[in-house]
Amino acid sequence: MAKQLRIALAGNANVGKSAIFNQLTGLNQIVGNWPGKTVERAEGTLHFKGHTIRIIDLPGIYSLSTFSMEEIVSRDYIAVEKPDIIINVIDASALERNLYFTLQLLELEAPIIIDLNQVDFAAKKGIKIDAEKLSKTLGVPVNSSVAITGSGINELLSTVIAAIDKKETLKPLKIRYGKEIEKRVQTIEKLVSSKLPQLCTIYPARWIAIKLLERDTDVAGKLKNYEKGQEVLDHAEKLAGELEAIHGEPSPVIIASEKYGFATKIAKAVTIIEAPPKISLEQKLDALTTHKISGYPILAAVLASMFVLIFTGGNLISDGLNYVFGILTTYTKTILFSLLPEIAVSLIVNGVLSGIVAGITIALPYIVPFYILLALLEDSGYLPRAAFLMDNAMHKIGLHGKAFIPLILGYGCSVPACIGCRIMETERERFLSAFVVVLIPCAARTVVILGLVGKFVGLPAALALYIFDLILVFLLGRVAFKVLPGEPVGLIMEMPSYKKPSLRNIMLKTWSRTKDFVFIAFPIIIAGSITIEALSLSGLMNYVVEAANPLIGGWLGLPSAAGVPLIFGVLRKELTLILLSELIPLRALSDIQMIVFALVTMIYIPCLATVAACVREFGWKKALAIAVVDIALALFIGGIAYRVLSLAMPT
Amino acid sequence: MRFRNRRHRERRHSHSNEETISLTSLYEGEKGIITNAFGGFGLVRRLAEMGLTPGVEIRLLRKCPFRGPLQIEVRGCVLALGYGIATKVFVKPLKAEANG
Repeated sequence: MAKQLRIALAGNANVGKSAIFNQLTGLNQIVGNWPGKTVERAEGTLHFKGHTIRIIDLPGIYSLSTFSMEEIVSRDYIAVEKPDIIINVIDASALERNLYFTLQLLELEAPIIIDLNQVDFAAKKGIKIDAEKLSKTLGVPVNSSVAITGSGINELLSTVIAAIDKKETLKPLKIRYGKEIEKRVQTIEKLVSSKLPQLCTIYPARWIAIKLLERDTDVAGKLKNYEKGQEVLDHAEKLAGELEAIHGEPSPVIIASEKYGFATKIAKAVTIIEAPPKISLEQKLDALTTHKISGYPILAAVLASMFVLIFTGGNLISDGLNYVFGILTTYTKTILFSLLPEIAVSLIVNGVLSGIVAGITIALPYIVPFYILLALLEDSGYLPRAAFLMDNAMHKIGLHGKAFIPLILGYGCSVPACIGCRIMETERERFLSAFVVVLIPCAARTVVILGLVGKFVGLPAALALYIFDLILVFLLGRVAFKVLPGEPVGLIMEMPSYKKPSLRNIMLKTWSRTKDFVFIAFPIIIAGSITIEALSLSGLMNYVVEAANPLIGGWLGLPSAAGVPLIFGVLRKELTLILLSELIPLRALSDIQMIVFALVTMIYIPCLATVAACVREFGWKKALAIAVVDIALALFIGGIAYRVLSLAMPT
Repeated sequence: MRFRNRRHRERRHSHSNEETISLTSLYEGEKGIITNAFGGFGLVRRLAEMGLTPGVEIRLLRKCPFRGPLQIEVRGCVLALGYGIATKVFVKPLKAEANG
């Protein structure tokens, strides 16, 4: 008898939730978005003892309030979709903070079991948790695990099944606040259950009451849909005001303080300190890598070696792939010619096939290695350190340290970088980071800069382009920061301990991200490739080039044939160089022309795949705005550069 | 900024430990008790949710130069806070027992 169960994984960030998810589902996972939200939704299925289990990995959050989209998505899923069980993953080495979240799950009256994860790491810190006592105190089943190695995962599933079959008869803890809060919670609770019975079928009345007392805007908004909602809301606001008058703090702080009080008490009662914490290797590493002096050269060295590794390795693989695909394309062509008319062959070979080849030759050599190294940095815990070190610098462009992460991603590929902007807290910060990130020269643009300017004009000139780009990013970031309405958000970030990354996790992450990239980028690259091929077959391309000539030749000072590669470059930027070399012998270009060409390629419209990623993240309007601004900017700067350089370096 | 720090330090000496100072004025390695945070409703709530509630003991781990971010240990976790936020969090420094 196959029964489908729905399970959700919930917990703080950095507790090993994804590791558990990966252990449970392996490759059977679908990563997508929550409907209408740019919050990642990872779902997977597994079979266990005759049960089919669907697992949803909820975003890592610290609270179930309304600070971020992630929090709202999570609490709505838990309350509205009502999964059969919620596995609350807890970091055993940071019990107190994690229990704060657990207490909120209990308030939502969700059916939970606790998975005490990273018990090995806690033991290293000299901490042992009495799981049985914790289970008794909270009234929920508790399982211990080390997700990275997979130990305790089977037991976790057994615990889940037992909990669903009601073999465990525990009564979940109900926390009672101090008199001042409790009295008011109960008053609102009574009011809510009598006046808003429909809402109480979705959310527990007591939870609504607590949230109203906390002045939760999302819950308040829900109340407004009901006839008597406003009445309840007014009363709750009055009570919250009273509470604030007594304590002199905002009501959510008062309630959070008390909740933390419970968490502290429980944590103290179940924690056994076995040994005084020793200064571990991880801590020494942490001190060294976030040190105000030694931290920066280490950061520079880490990033530099990462890029050297990717580009030298990537070039090798790329050359090999190009060779193989070159032969393959020729063969396909000859076969197709015997079967189809010439126009169809051109469309298939130059449109579809070259689109696929374009995708593969950029994805495989550059993106996959980049993802592997990124996952390594991520899982080891280095990325938050980098973000910490760069916080100050990022503030200069109105962002905070976390934005450094998508910025690094941008040097690999703009597509994941755009998606990576999700780690920023507000819509404004996300857009601002994306705006900046698409201007970072990705791997493809680096190929053009190095292959054209670096090779023919000299490495210093190529380097100057990079520096110019950084200055541009800085200036534009500042402008956008000033222009965009809204308050900047500061950095509040947990610094996870260093951990030994697991190969399996890194591979799984790389796989799912590569898949994501393929889904976004490939269709658009192929479609674009066919369109442009159709344009040039029908002869329309000539008109386009002619129309663009005043701009390309007159304003930018490039040979008019250079217009074609720039148009094709929309598909993928390194195509500009390949096409340019097919149309004009590269040596025939002057130094200035090369620099202008590379400059324009570097700045103008992020490739179609990036635009697609932007559309997915920010919608059509904003994506279009980014594209238009970038094209205008590239042409503007290109023209200026042509004139300034002509004066500065007469040939 | 250096100047402001010094002023805080002087005040601390003359008034024993009665006074609260901004988090940014703690020394590296020094402990303190959070008294309050000011700022927008959202920020104060966010800080509370991350464990920075009034009365909790924290330890300043390290500071970055030039008004950079800092790291504190709170409730067994390490948090990084931007300088701007840290100036809005107030602490009462604890007697220097582990300052070295």
